[in-house]
Amino acid sequence: MITFEHVSKVYPDGTHAVHDLTFDAPSGRLTVLVGPSGCGKTTSMRMINRLIDPTDGVVSLDGQDTRSVDAIELRRKIGYVIQSAGLFPHRTVVDNVAALPRLLGVGKQQARSRAMELLAKVGLDERFALRYPYQLSGGQQQRVGVARALATDPPFLLMDEPFSAVDPVVRTQLQDSFLQLQRDIGKTIVMVTHDIDEALKLGDQVAVFREGGTLAQVATPSGLLAHPADPFVADFVGASRGYRALGFVEATAPVELADEATVRVGSRPGDAGAVDDGWCVAVDDAHAPLGWVDLRAAGEVVEERHIDFSGTVARADGSLRDLLDAALSSPTGRGLVAGPDGRLRGSVVAAEVLRHVGHGREAEVSS
Amino acid sequence: MSILDWFLDPAQWAGADSIPVQVGYHLLYSGTALLVALAIAVPLGVYIGYTGRGELLVAGAANALRALPTFGLLVLVVMLVAPLVGSRLAFVGPTIVVLVLLAVPPILSGTVAGIQGADPGAVGAARATGYTRPQILWHVQVPCALPLFLSGIRNATLQIVSTATVAAYVSLKGLGRYIIDGRASSDYTQMAAGAVLVAVVALVLELAFLGLGRAVVSPGLTRNPLPTCRRTRTVRPDLVPPSTPRKAAS
Repeated sequence: MITFEHVSKVYPDGTHAVHDLTFDAPSGRLTVLVGPSGCGKTTSMRMINRLIDPTDGVVSLDGQDTRSVDAIELRRKIGYVIQSAGLFPHRTVVDNVAALPRLLGVGKQQARSRAMELLAKVGLDERFALRYPYQLSGGQQQRVGVARALATDPPFLLMDEPFSAVDPVVRTQLQDSFLQLQRDIGKTIVMVTHDIDEALKLGDQVAVFREGGTLAQVATPSGLLAHPADPFVADFVGASRGYRALGFVEATAPVELADEATVRVGSRPGDAGAVDDGWCVAVDDAHAPLGWVDLRAAGEVVEERHIDFSGTVARADGSLRDLLDAALSSPTGRGLVAGPDGRLRGSVVAAEVLRHVGHGREAEVSS
Repeated sequence: MSILDWFLDPAQWAGADSIPVQVGYHLLYSGTALLVALAIAVPLGVYIGYTGRGELLVAGAANALRALPTFGLLVLVVMLVAPLVGSRLAFVGPTIVVLVLLAVPPILSGTVAGIQGADPGAVGAARATGYTRPQILWHVQVPCALPLFLSGIRNATLQIVSTATVAAYVSLKGLGRYIIDGRASSDYTQMAAGAVLVAVVALVLELAFLGLGRAVVSPGLTRNPLPTCRRTRTVRPDLVPPSTPRKAAS
């Protein structure tokens, strides 16, 4: 656990970068520090590994005051991922990851084989291992940055806007694969971002900072959306928070799914059997839904160009937001739902989801 | 007699004043001056690049030294030193000093620029993960500084080699002999041959530096697409863990 107790940072010119900060970053959880620029979130994170020393208060790791430990020793226990990856340009990818273990005396072969494992873990193909950083895309570099931060298997991890220098598509990929990784490794992580969507998506706990380096609120993402402490937090969390909050609500009772007729690409429309309104679901060989097909518009044979891909597919165990989005984005108003195995389970209509929203709210209030 | 005849004359290739001997002396003076210049400029450059202290001094001194008239300085130093030292050293010493003064600025500025120009992200990441300052210097800044550092030495070397001809003016050996002696006896073939020899030596050194650069500078810095990576074979395939299912690399 990383603990801040009345921590302040005042610069000689009198600027308060951080003011009387007190909060915990619980072990094995991801705590996101979020706020507008100049709110002291990065300064706060950098006080954890003493890149910046606080002027007042105590930062401790698992109860140990960081000032009682040598700064170099301290930093070696804490992985660090920076925004632009900051890879060593003169080393290959695998040697970037192996660099710190090598520095600490681990044998070359051992450090490299561990580095190869880590590269696989962060989702980087092993054919990239012998390339140099300049030969990688921004997203790939950032994966290497994460692998490097984990090279010595530190219990703590600090991440400074790790996914902000890449395009939105790659960012989503990186976030998803990082979430999956964190489920596996369970590090105590403090991450800084200015992107509230990223904070809500990744954080187990979100600390919202306001200008002047004070803490506005620390809460879980759903807590932040449901109960913002003040107008600043409410404003920062942003519009459509009612809809976003659904992302953290799961159906308390089984959601009623309707069966749908299915058809495969290459088959004849008649194969789908009786279809009420002409729409049926195109599925692939594994029975995973691809999209909707209007059989009235399809000719003799259903081809890929007949499929309407506009609807999203929700997972049966997904949040109400996913289910509602599937229903709202579907050309038929019926959202496609797939099981954890990817197979089509059926469809759901918005009204059915909204019925569960009411139950979800009641459950939350009563709990 | 054409230049070709001059080069083919067996007399030029044997004896105390033959081409190999003059090339040898030329390289001896140049090499000595380069070593002395390295001994001065590299530690100073590393210190300045590392601490950030004295950058103005570098810029100022480098420009001032570049503006020095080599030839005039040589004559001046010899005139000052000669009465004090009796031996040949009275001429060798000043020659080396002048060449060193010529070589220090490019090496110094190359070293400082290289150290300071190391990718700030890489330096920051090293610092944040517990590299000590000497470790950052040695494992990150110095390797990243190599391209600029080498180009500084290369500039210095070429300047030294072309300027070392002035040694002959103060009666020393070296390729300058052909130019000075040729001028004195109006033997323009010999002068031209001397110039050609200097050019050839410079060219050979240039190629040597090209090879050195490939050998010591990481392909990650030169961004050389040729498969020159020395480490390619050192990750043994049996150490590569079995493939695991993973998402498409982004």
